[in-house]
Amino acid sequence: MVDVFFDDAIKVDRLDPDGKKFDKVSRIEAQSEEYAMNIQLDVNTEVYPIRVGEKFRMALAPTLNLDGSAVTGYIPEGKSKSLADKFEYVMHGLLYKMSEDDSSGSVKVIAYISFGGLQLMLKGDPIHMGKFKLDQRLFLLMRKM
Amino acid sequence: MAKKPQDAIQFTKQPYIEDVGPRKIKSIQFSMFSESDTFKCAEVEVHQGLYYSSEKVPVEHGLLDPRMGPPNKNSVCATCHGKFKDCPGHYGYLALALPVYNVGYLNTIVDILKCICKSCSRVLLSDKERVEFLKKIRNPKLEPLKKTEILKRIVKRCNSMASSRKAVKCSRCGYINGMVKKSTGNNMLGVNIDRDDKVLEECRSAISHTKESRASISMGNMLNPDRVLSLFKKMLDEDCDLLYLSDRPENLLLRNIAVPPLALRPSVFVDSGTQSNESDITERLKRIIQANARLHQELSEIAASKNLNGWADLQIEVAQYINSDVRGVGNMQTTKPLSGFVQRLKGKQGRFRGNLSGKRVEYTGRTVISPDPNLKITEVAIPLLMARILTYPERVSHHNIEKLRQCVRNGPDKYPGARFLRTESALLSLMVPARKRLAEELKFGQIVDRHLEDGDIVLFNRQPSLHRMSIMCHRARIMPWRTLRFNESVCNPYNADFDGDEMNLHVPQTEEARTEALMLMGVQNNLCTPKNGEILVASTQDFLTSSFLITRKDTFYDRAAFSLLCSYMGDAMDLVDLPTPALVKPIELWTGKQLLSVLLRPHANMRVYLNLSVREKNYSKSGETMCPNDGFVYFRNSELICGQLGKATLGNGNKDGLYSVLLRDYNAYAAAACMNRLAKLSARWIGNHGFSIGIDDVQPGERLNENKRARIFEGYRKCDELIQSYNKGMLKLQPGCDAAQTLEAQISSFLNNIRETTAKVCMEELHWRNSPLIMSQCGSKGSPINISQMIACVGQQSVGGRRAPNGFIDRSLPHFPRKSKTPDAKGFVANSFYSGLTATEFFFHTMGGREGLVDTAVKTADTGYMSRRLIKALEDLSIQYDNTVRNASRCIVQFIYGDDGMDPSQMEGKGGIPLNFERLLLKVKSTCPAGEQKSLSPSEIIEESDERLSKDDMTLDGGCSNAFKKSLSEFIQECNTRLKSTRKALKLDDEQVEGENRNILENVAQNISGVTSKQLQVFSDTCISRYHLKRVESGTAIGAIGAQSIGEPGTQMTLKTFHFAGVASMNVTLGVPRIKEIINASKKISTPIITAPLDCNDNLKTARMVKGRVEKTLLGQVAKSIRMVMTSRSASIVITLNMESIQASQLSINAQNVKESILRTPKIKLKEEHIKVLDARKLEIIPPADKSELHFKLHSLKNKLPAVVVKGINSVERAVINRTKVDNKEQYNLLVEGAGLQDVMGTEGINGRKTTSNHIMEVEKVIGIEAARRCIIEEIQYTMASHGMTIDLRHMMLLADLMTFKGEVLGITRYGIQKMKDSVLMLASFEKTADHLFNASVNGRDDKIEGVSECIIMGIPMQIGTGILKVMQRVDDQQPMKGLDPIITSSA
Repeated sequence: MVDVFFDDAIKVDRLDPDGKKFDKVSRIEAQSEEYAMNIQLDVNTEVYPIRVGEKFRMALAPTLNLDGSAVTGYIPEGKSKSLADKFEYVMHGLLYKMSEDDSSGSVKVIAYISFGGLQLMLKGDPIHMGKFKLDQRLFLLMRKM
Repeated sequence: MAKKPQDAIQFTKQPYIEDVGPRKIKSIQFSMFSESDTFKCAEVEVHQGLYYSSEKVPVEHGLLDPRMGPPNKNSVCATCHGKFKDCPGHYGYLALALPVYNVGYLNTIVDILKCICKSCSRVLLSDKERVEFLKKIRNPKLEPLKKTEILKRIVKRCNSMASSRKAVKCSRCGYINGMVKKSTGNNMLGVNIDRDDKVLEECRSAISHTKESRASISMGNMLNPDRVLSLFKKMLDEDCDLLYLSDRPENLLLRNIAVPPLALRPSVFVDSGTQSNESDITERLKRIIQANARLHQELSEIAASKNLNGWADLQIEVAQYINSDVRGVGNMQTTKPLSGFVQRLKGKQGRFRGNLSGKRVEYTGRTVISPDPNLKITEVAIPLLMARILTYPERVSHHNIEKLRQCVRNGPDKYPGARFLRTESALLSLMVPARKRLAEELKFGQIVDRHLEDGDIVLFNRQPSLHRMSIMCHRARIMPWRTLRFNESVCNPYNADFDGDEMNLHVPQTEEARTEALMLMGVQNNLCTPKNGEILVASTQDFLTSSFLITRKDTFYDRAAFSLLCSYMGDAMDLVDLPTPALVKPIELWTGKQLLSVLLRPHANMRVYLNLSVREKNYSKSGETMCPNDGFVYFRNSELICGQLGKATLGNGNKDGLYSVLLRDYNAYAAAACMNRLAKLSARWIGNHGFSIGIDDVQPGERLNENKRARIFEGYRKCDELIQSYNKGMLKLQPGCDAAQTLEAQISSFLNNIRETTAKVCMEELHWRNSPLIMSQCGSKGSPINISQMIACVGQQSVGGRRAPNGFIDRSLPHFPRKSKTPDAKGFVANSFYSGLTATEFFFHTMGGREGLVDTAVKTADTGYMSRRLIKALEDLSIQYDNTVRNASRCIVQFIYGDDGMDPSQMEGKGGIPLNFERLLLKVKSTCPAGEQKSLSPSEIIEESDERLSKDDMTLDGGCSNAFKKSLSEFIQECNTRLKSTRKALKLDDEQVEGENRNILENVAQNISGVTSKQLQVFSDTCISRYHLKRVESGTAIGAIGAQSIGEPGTQMTLKTFHFAGVASMNVTLGVPRIKEIINASKKISTPIITAPLDCNDNLKTARMVKGRVEKTLLGQVAKSIRMVMTSRSASIVITLNMESIQASQLSINAQNVKESILRTPKIKLKEEHIKVLDARKLEIIPPADKSELHFKLHSLKNKLPAVVVKGINSVERAVINRTKVDNKEQYNLLVEGAGLQDVMGTEGINGRKTTSNHIMEVEKVIGIEAARRCIIEEIQYTMASHGMTIDLRHMMLLADLMTFKGEVLGITRYGIQKMKDSVLMLASFEKTADHLFNASVNGRDDKIEGVSECIIMGIPMQIGTGILKVMQRVDDQQPMKGLDPIITSSA
């Protein structure tokens, strides 16, 4: 079974908080509902348009194979079952940094993931971040709700 | 000199001549040429002033007598019968009728005459003094320079004896000696003596009855060369020693002249042999012969009583034969003077600098350069035409015989061919058709001079060669067409562009030369500059632009496009592993950043794991990787995590850039390969993508225009307000400025602000696809100001750092009203280059433009000379095997180079620190992942690191400096505190957290800032081992490197820049002039400033008081009145002090002080009793004078009195209180303009221990030599830093140490260098060539040929760099040979 690190519904609060800098890419600010995580994510809005207020289901998983085995190299199209089938937007990236943030009273842990330059910042309670490890390769899966 | 073969003595057996191998010149002894020497080397007497007879045959005993060498290629020498090639020529001699002075020695002759008695030739000193001086000068350990000083003292002593009014009676013979002077007469070189007046008087009275005029007396005062000669002949050898003469002094005069061989003064037939063209020397000799003949005639005709005009003529001719700069009789300034021997030697084109220190070479090419991004950075494309001319002698061996056979067969005209074949016996040209046969008969061991081929090693150079990277070693690539081509990445070290630059190419001709060139000068071994360790060979221009565009966040490629781009990187043969696409669904897309990751590490077998983080220009200053502008570049294990690449990452001049990190963490090859791939990718990508600039790029939008108009309007309004308040006199003054200065400063700041803000607006408003904007953002070309000038506003034009000056009366141009100070009238250009400049704006713009042009023209000459002096002074400093820095005569300059013995070119950290720990730890953490290992607890970290740091290689004996050890342990401490704070934040140290949660939290903490034992070990091991590798190698020519590192940035500095030193009104000279001042150790500098901290630095009032004490106050400033009071009985001046203003400015002045200061003033000669203090504020001065001049005396006194300094330091111009903010607290210190460091230090209220000056000579005088050294280092660093240049501190230390190691501050000028070096040849090749040579011969100097210049001149390998190495062999003591054991022992 796939060991999903993070699976929650998120709601887009803001789009491009620092102004639109890139044509095809927008930065979304979102809040996860269950774990109350702060999320900042760069999304290629050309292929997957996003508007403020929309809700998505977002997941982070180390593999797309349903049996939990690691993805090796090439991901063939139309291959049997895959986790990606259920989602509309899938990215592949690397967890490169974790840091703590105690500016807002309670301590939060931040995980940073880069999907070939598109950034994800996941800020949440330390207890929910135990599965994340440095240098993990992760898939980000998104589906409109 | 081979005599005619039959002349040689025939031996029955050839005499045995030991073969001692090639001889090496050990030293050169300079001496004077004596009369007998001339005769010895002369083969023929020359007395005919003729060249050729009517049959074009050289005249016997004429100037071109064939016994002085073969006159042309076809004839043989009449003396040695050698051919033109073999015979070096022979000397002749020319006897002079009367002796003449040798001009070169004239000063020496005068000095000797000053010292000796003109009757008995003994030294004038008293016996006791003489013996004392003799003892000193005969000291064998004394340096020649010191001896010259002693000589100077002797001369001064003797001269002062003579010049004193008393007659100097020779203590031995009683002759009365007068003063000796060099004749300043207009027509004759010579020596004058002024006899003592009494003697003259006597003389006159003695001859007064005769009718001889006074002229005869003055004639008698002239010492003629003949008399001088006879005096010199009488001199004792002991006295010669005393006067530092190594030889008999009579050699200082010429009685006969050696006529140089024909080879030195060739005679050339012109006009198809009808006329001959003689060299200047020959023509001069002809004149000498003529003058000599005239003198002969005069001598034979008339008695000696008559003036010998011929003698004077001969003297002049002989003087000009040696040095044609000597003033002649005053005529013949019409044509170019015939050059003398001194002219042949001196100057840039002279023998020393033109032919001995630098020589013309073979195997060289030069042509125009052009770029080729497809070449590797180590390659240079050589045109085929050039490759056919340049050759390399390759020895035939088993491996290359077939190739060389083909070359020989092809001959010199067909590539790849060969020009010559060298067999054991002969050099065969391959022009002949017989080369086919030669090719067949090619044997092992023969040498073929083949054409250049791919992979050959060549040296590539562009002038001006300002640093060692201006000549580097490349590998050849033979290519068609006519230009030399290389990768644009290598433009930087050569400072080349392709607007028509030409470059030179040299081909080393031996294997040793090739190896040395490749190892030491190869491009891949010179990626870094030793100036400061920054990378110099790096991507430029288009490469930056395309990488910037490729790594934009919104560049996506599908599979086809991405694969194509991957194939651009190499030559289609490289393995590439395609990464997983960043976007898997809805479609597979790769980002541009992934392309860069592929570029860095194309396939999995490549073990390059790059880790770095750089802040680019457009970094938003917060958020690190989440920067909205994507300005934070982060590579993790060769994967580009975030950031848009620009100049900071890929360009030169950054120590944490991509190539620097590759070079340090991996090797030069990795960095070079990466550069090659990026060059290829960029060039091909941008070719497809397209990048150009058009008119629409510089058209401002509506909003931009609006914005600009508003800002300019606002700026103008502010300026107008300022001008109005200025006119009303209500301007609030800035400290230390008057109203006009304040106005100028404020207006300038407003106007500059306009340009800067419009630039900012431009950068914000423009579309991201705007080409100039892209170029400026990625740093490939142009700045925001340039863009703003094109689009919005050109801005203020300045001339000499001010606004446009008034060229007309009270105005800059007649288009404006008088005294107008508005922005428009003073050169503010509100238009942009796009909108077009108005006539007046254009004119102001040309004014600024011209200044720039003039500046660059002047700058090159100035900095060039500065570099030359620096090099000459530092060239022979090198690092010895004992780690000391010494000069060529083994004199220690530094005990350890730069205090830690590190190589500046290898320094990784900012500010010349060996390592960048932060980056290294990052790399270790990511390349050596924790995996299953647990991270260490804070206490464990300390334990483990302490253990490692106490090992042998971290001790001082193990070659590790204390500073490094300290910095490393401090860094580990810092990591530790970071871990502690994380654990504290996660509440891990609390006991309440238990069970599952605790494990999770531990895990998280480890991921955030944990360090495992393995990581710590790897980190400290890398640090330490890398530190030890960064030691500077023995033999390094660190002096030359240092000189280049300081000289080269000089060329980039704008010539004259003034800078504010804290306070707006106080200027400091910067730029090249300041560097020149420091290096010259000038006694007088243009802006001396003393920085004086106060004892009580937080109180403005005390600061004012101290200022009052320092700044000079004149009596005129504090006096209410200075009146003349005349009564019937007396006349006096009464001074009334203005006590209110004195108290207001906190000065403690009263009448008593004023009296003292008046008495102290030198020009006013008053005595104690003349000044009466009436009360605290009144004085009366009654000058001593008789009635007749009293009135005038009073008036002059009244004029002088206001200028009397009553308080403060005389040499101080002014003092300014400088306000600084330290930790939100106002602090004050004093900036004092002017000299007088000692006085300022002694002033009450000033912290003398921390007071410094920027005047090096004063610091030396007041605080000492070590302080002067520090001052030199700091001043150079400050000057360089304020021009934005970083230079490794070690170079400046070396320079400062060299300037101070003799115990006094020596400038890098001809006087200073003379005191640093003792080699005559080196000094002669620097400046004042002839003077040094003449003095050396008089003093009999010995040059040991140790330094760099001397070795180059003599053609000997120098003891520096690879030449420091000497192989010696231990030879066991040889057992004395024993005969056979005696058959019968004696004892038996």
